[in-house]
Amino acid sequence: MKTWAKVLLTLATLGIIAATAVYFFVYNKPHTNFERAKPDFTISAENLYKAFIYDHVAAEKEYNARVIQITGILNDLEFTDDRVFAIFAFGDGMFGPEGIRCTLLDNHNSALSDGDIGKDVTIKGFCSGFTGTDVILEHCSVLK
Amino acid sequence: MKTRLVLILSLLLLAISLTAQNYVTRTGYIRFYSEAPLENIEAINRQVNSALNISNGEFVFRLLMRSFNFEKALMQEHFNENYVESHKYPNASFQGKIVNLNEIDFSKPGIYSTIVEGDLTIKDATQKVKQNGTLEVKKDEIIGKSVFNIKLADYNIAIPSAVSRNISPEIEITVEVLLKKM
Repeated sequence: MKTWAKVLLTLATLGIIAATAVYFFVYNKPHTNFERAKPDFTISAENLYKAFIYDHVAAEKEYNARVIQITGILNDLEFTDDRVFAIFAFGDGMFGPEGIRCTLLDNHNSALSDGDIGKDVTIKGFCSGFTGTDVILEHCSVLK
Repeated sequence: MKTRLVLILSLLLLAISLTAQNYVTRTGYIRFYSEAPLENIEAINRQVNSALNISNGEFVFRLLMRSFNFEKALMQEHFNENYVESHKYPNASFQGKIVNLNEIDFSKPGIYSTIVEGDLTIKDATQKVKQNGTLEVKKDEIIGKSVFNIKLADYNIAIPSAVSRNISPEIEITVEVLLKKM
């Protein structure tokens, strides 16, 4: 085989390997580490909830799919199967207290206890949106 | 004056009794599953709002599209950005009724077959659906389950030909809700 053909073959092989590696790297890229993510917004829990209540379309544009750090008085903790929800309540509706529901990351499930209810708590999480009754923050970590 | 007081009290009692007919959850489970030649795709949402009024059979679901979690981050990204366009259409909902309400005795624990009919809205496209399922009646709890298929094209979800062997045009939806008495 001529030298130029060998070079071409080697380059083509390397190109295919590189393209395959990039494809698998992108295809298998990890989920965002929300615990380490820098917040896009820092806001009080009450102001975040009010933003959705007053104009949910505008609030959805601003806050949905963003990492938000909120501070407010923790009203309740809800435990279901393997999950813990931190609740900041500002109203009442057919589902019970309405406000901001934060699903904690597994490694933060024991970061809050009943003793924290009624106290100021800061939580950071990914805003999935507004259900019509609640603002949903997921993958949340407790900062204090 | 006395009549008005009796009327107000009666309305109050009626409102209380109607409220007691509601069973609700905010942690319902909906899974979708696509089986295609090149890969199978599954996503799970465990933050589904659902309410059932057992006095008239009204059944509602509401969920956030961004609460669907995928095994692969890239799939989740494509789902939200390219297919369901969560930034434009953040919610999906179902509003309907149990058709065979008279066959269900909510005072008697057991598993009842149900037929639910109503409007399913995804990406602002609404389709009439009629599906079978079960309701398991327990003390102060009802477990609702159903498995059915939907066509993505019915909800304005277009699959590019380049990935037509990766995503099925028809996907399976599994619904499980543990509704608690309000």
